[in-house]
Amino acid sequence: MAGNILVVDDEPVVIVSCERILTPEGYSVKGASSVDEAIGHLQNGDYDLVITDLKMPNKGGLDLIKWLRDNNSKAGIVVITGYPSQETIKDALHMGIVDYLPKPFSPALLIDVTAKAISFVKSKGIEEVTSEEQEITAKAEEIKNVIVSNKDRPGGLIPVLQQVQEILGYLPPAVLKLIARGLNLPVSEVHGVVSFYSFFTMKPKGKHNVRVCMGTACYVKRATEILDKLKDILGIEEEEVTEDKQFSLETVRCLGACGLAPVVVVDHDTHGSVDPVKVSGLLEEYN
Amino acid sequence: MDKVRSNVMLCGGTGCIATGSLKVKDALVTELKKHKLYDQITVTLTGCNGFCAQGPLVTVFPEGIFYEKLTADDIPFLVEEHFLKGRPVEKFMYKAPEDKSAVPAISEIPFFKHQVLRALRNKGIIDPEKIEEYIARDGYMAAAKALTEMKPEDVVKEMKESGLRGRGGAGFPTGLKWELCAMSKGDLKYILCNGDEGDPGAFMDRSIMEADPHVVLEGMIIAAKAIGASKGYIYVRAEYPLAVERLQKAIDQAKDYGLLGENILNTGFNLDIELYLGAGAFVCGEETALMRSLEGKRGMPIPRPPFPAQKGLWGKPTVLNNVETYANIPPIILNGGEWYKSLGTEKSTGTKVFALTGAVNNIGLIEVPMGIPLRTIIYDIGGGIRKGRKFKAVQLGGPSGGCVPEHLLDTPVTYEDIVQTGAIVGSGGMVVMDDYNCMVSVARFFLDFTTEESCGKCPPCRIGTKVMRDKLADITEGRGQEGDVELLQDLAKDIINTSLCGLGQTAPNPILTTIKYFKDEYESHIHDKWCKAGVCTDLATFYIDEEACKGCTVCAKNCPQECIAGEKKKPHIIDQEKCVKCRTCYEKCKFNAVKVGPANMFDKKDEEVQV
Repeated sequence: MAGNILVVDDEPVVIVSCERILTPEGYSVKGASSVDEAIGHLQNGDYDLVITDLKMPNKGGLDLIKWLRDNNSKAGIVVITGYPSQETIKDALHMGIVDYLPKPFSPALLIDVTAKAISFVKSKGIEEVTSEEQEITAKAEEIKNVIVSNKDRPGGLIPVLQQVQEILGYLPPAVLKLIARGLNLPVSEVHGVVSFYSFFTMKPKGKHNVRVCMGTACYVKRATEILDKLKDILGIEEEEVTEDKQFSLETVRCLGACGLAPVVVVDHDTHGSVDPVKVSGLLEEYN
Repeated sequence: MDKVRSNVMLCGGTGCIATGSLKVKDALVTELKKHKLYDQITVTLTGCNGFCAQGPLVTVFPEGIFYEKLTADDIPFLVEEHFLKGRPVEKFMYKAPEDKSAVPAISEIPFFKHQVLRALRNKGIIDPEKIEEYIARDGYMAAAKALTEMKPEDVVKEMKESGLRGRGGAGFPTGLKWELCAMSKGDLKYILCNGDEGDPGAFMDRSIMEADPHVVLEGMIIAAKAIGASKGYIYVRAEYPLAVERLQKAIDQAKDYGLLGENILNTGFNLDIELYLGAGAFVCGEETALMRSLEGKRGMPIPRPPFPAQKGLWGKPTVLNNVETYANIPPIILNGGEWYKSLGTEKSTGTKVFALTGAVNNIGLIEVPMGIPLRTIIYDIGGGIRKGRKFKAVQLGGPSGGCVPEHLLDTPVTYEDIVQTGAIVGSGGMVVMDDYNCMVSVARFFLDFTTEESCGKCPPCRIGTKVMRDKLADITEGRGQEGDVELLQDLAKDIINTSLCGLGQTAPNPILTTIKYFKDEYESHIHDKWCKAGVCTDLATFYIDEEACKGCTVCAKNCPQECIAGEKKKPHIIDQEKCVKCRTCYEKCKFNAVKVGPANMFDKKDEEVQV
């Protein structure tokens, strides 16, 4: 996997060795000998990965990492350090680095770390993991309260899952483990219940959730055509989320609003007598 | 209150809220206040009125004048004319389909005229969020009678006398179920309500829970007295948020009034009722599966016996009834079983609620006496087939039911007569289909449903439904072969005989009834590769009949592919290369000039030319 890499180190030999090792691997490598020089390069070009020393005269690697974060850079960060003390690594980890290279490092290690970091960044792993983790951490208290208040309720698992899904919008695997531990159940049982009921989802939803009713009354009034049209417009299949995370699409069994068939529900708004030809207009309200 | 001269009942069911009834309410209040009428005229947001397709709906009492399809913009004019000047407004009234004349009174509108309201007696009349209004309509009188004057066996006797059969689908006699449970020994018994209305195309229970939540509680109190239960759960679909909200309010109010909780009405009788939200699994309509779900497990059925009446929820004796069943109980206790069975037939007594939807003119919720012919429901109450098209079939009983064809339309609606046709009364979904519908594709729709909803516990259902579904997919996509129909019939028989629960035992019904009554459609799909309704697009070609085409250009204007060409007043033609078979021209043409031919009709023509 190719990519643009910026190597920042006050020792020119490090930059030169990185170039020699990584260029044959298909990467294009640029060097900078100070943080200020690096910022100049970053402002003028797109980089997938920044490999930076932590200890440098004047500004250090942590300043560069902070600058990257403040400027919402999508570049992944790998730090090089001769002194992998726990404290510095911890600070860097908190700021969202992908990996680190202890000095001195072998060419094989550099190639390996670089390849992993690039594929991680390109799969947008960084963003998702942090936002998912952040969301769960932010709401951890709320989730714990739900678990505690239902702990002794017989048959409490389903209500807990419903309430947690209400809080998070979906049920990520980490949360299922948390629930299992809290209710003293095997994770397999929790997972079994989640996968059994159509109400539960383990995938995050878009900002707007579009649900197409597939009840009989809606079916005979061409609900399948509406679904196809929506798939076409949004460019996603059922149970998927658009790339910009604006919309997710799903079908429901029957909303019991058969008098209005065919029915499409966006978030909490019920749209009745939907014309398959005019579906796109319906979504415009939510853009 | 003595100054009130009119009550405006505004429908606040899910359907009407979706079409804007809350905005109408705000406008009504504003306008009435503006004209200083708000102290003389009350505005009440009721539960579902039933005539859902015409919403938002307003009925003005005491005259019973009915207005439909109101918008907030109509309200200033309506308030000024009707309430200030005393002139009912014709343009907002229901119009008779024959001569378009306005029908002012709700009681004269055909949709309402043929109905007999028992389970739905409070719909559109009371504010579902106020227990006082329910009590004013004799609410909780029956519970009081059962708790203070009757012994459990009296209650059971009255229920057996009434002949009421479970309205959830299977039609098991309610009194008998209660008797079995009453006889079971146990210090703790449970009374459950099934509000997990899973049949697609049915919304009876939803409407009752939204329009009259207290009736469900009252029915459960009476049942609890009969069997000796002290704890109750109402299992409701999480997809019904309004019903959940109103039921919860009703439970809280009933507790405040001392109608739930400990020592109810000073009789020493205790009953606590709790809501439990279902999580969307069709199989949970089956009672043993529902109980597993209440226990927080995967909702899978277990073999019977033991019956839930002996060993149900957490191994305790349990009775489960459906919402509509409970709604019928208070009037039976008040008026007696004899009164209840004065309507209906010997084996199917009383009334039944149906959700009438699909290709009829009047869509909505109806309650009719048992024994009424299907034809009366579809043509008198339903107002016939929309857009003057031709009736093809009526689907009864959802995925467990079947399709009844035209020549059986005089069948009376009773449990025993409907079973004869191959369908079932079921929970009361009634979906009418016109000649735009392909019956093979309808069967496939239901099998898609049951295949996905099969819980997977027993192989006949898990594998059998999938094999049948795949076969139907083959037929509708042009891979049908000689012998497929016979294979389906064979499989169906085995699945019915060997499945564990009702889901598998009834899943083949949609296939069997469509084969029975519409075998020609299966055959033309298999042999001619021709779906005559133009639904299975792999087996259809749309073309324009030159002689019938008037050249009105409607098809060309509406074609999303822009592949219809032709001059005004001259026959048009569809470019088959570009046509995506979206059916738009077929449905828009007023002269029936767009026809459906078999998949390969144009290939054939070329061959003919060569010959």
